[in-house]
Amino acid sequence: MSPDEMFQLANGMAFAGWVALLASPFAGGWSDRIAALVIPLLLSIAYCGLVLAFWSGAQGGFDSLANVELLFKTREVVLAGWLHYLAFDLFVGAWEVRTARREGIPFLLVVPCLLLTFLFGPIGFLLFCALRLAKSFMAPTAMA
Amino acid sequence: MNTMSVLLPDRGVLPQIVARSFRAEPRFAGAALLLVVAMVPTLFAMMVDPRQFNGINVWDKPLKFEVALAVYLATLAWFAVHLPKSVTSARWYGVFSWVVVSAVALEMIWIGGAAANGVGSHFNLDGVMGAIYGLMGVLAVTLTSASLLHGIAFWRDSKSALNPQVRMALASGLVLTFVLTVIVAGYMSSNMGHWVGGNASDAESIAVMGWARDGGDLRVAHFLATHAMHFIPLAGYVAARSLRPAAAGMAVWGSSLGYCALVAFTFMQALAGQPFLGFL
Repeated sequence: MSPDEMFQLANGMAFAGWVALLASPFAGGWSDRIAALVIPLLLSIAYCGLVLAFWSGAQGGFDSLANVELLFKTREVVLAGWLHYLAFDLFVGAWEVRTARREGIPFLLVVPCLLLTFLFGPIGFLLFCALRLAKSFMAPTAMA
Repeated sequence: MNTMSVLLPDRGVLPQIVARSFRAEPRFAGAALLLVVAMVPTLFAMMVDPRQFNGINVWDKPLKFEVALAVYLATLAWFAVHLPKSVTSARWYGVFSWVVVSAVALEMIWIGGAAANGVGSHFNLDGVMGAIYGLMGVLAVTLTSASLLHGIAFWRDSKSALNPQVRMALASGLVLTFVLTVIVAGYMSSNMGHWVGGNASDAESIAVMGWARDGGDLRVAHFLATHAMHFIPLAGYVAARSLRPAAAGMAVWGSSLGYCALVAFTFMQALAGQPFLGFL
């Protein structure tokens, strides 16, 4: 499988995970298993395999921005980095859904956070945390 | 979400054996499970990595060692169910067991790290790899010594509830795994290689096992030596079920001697530059 094919496949899998999260009001248990476990695990296996196979051949490192840039000159390492985004963003999305369910935050309010987490991970995380903060002012007892 | 409960339903023979092995030797059983899990990313790396070493994919060797060490540790954990608690619960045994698991982990890091860098692990005397090769030999003997210790523990456990012939077969197989493996692998190491004659390549080797077809391969004798702990207890079990005690006892010693002869034969065959089952 070429890196481009793997990229397409991984995107499809991550997308399926996000769809599962959107369906969580109807099938919470399954959406948790798929989005917080199965798909992040599959992406992590692929990430691990890519790092085992291509890390030693790549230039660069984590110690300076210029070195990080060098790392991204190796296509397979870029792919691994992308899988890292996909896996961890989805994991955070699943955490948002679980946390909202436990704390009684309406799902409709979580949807914009999910959309932002999907597209711009940390921005969605920020919005969700802001939402929890607001909720804590409205009903302090609801916060764990 | 409890994933382990999905993997280990509490019905059936195999899940029971797994559960009892985890109770008897949690470190060996846990390490075996981790090695099985490690096969998944290793297979993925094999699929995406175009690099070769000795004519085959660089990840072939780490995968083989994951399989072999998982089988070794899982077998010891399973046998440990029948070891006396006075051994497996002892503090010194716990320390020993951790040392063995650490040796396995370091061997896997060494072999996997060499594969990741596309260089040789065994018989590689270049630079850093050469500097640690001797240490890796010490670790290999350390991890193999677990079979010796278990074998001696079975030997001495005269109050065991096991059938006496099965217990003798376990003791003999486990001790022979250590003795034969150290002899064969020690020779391989001092000889700086396992090929005798033929091409130094795995490309044309026999399926799955990877032994040479065009010359001698000391890995055959290593494989058989290390599996004494499987073959001899199996022979003892069959003998104990089908023969009277005296005859079963003879069968245990006979199969032990025969197995040593088989290992010696394949060892000599390889030294003579002859392939084993070269037609496969």
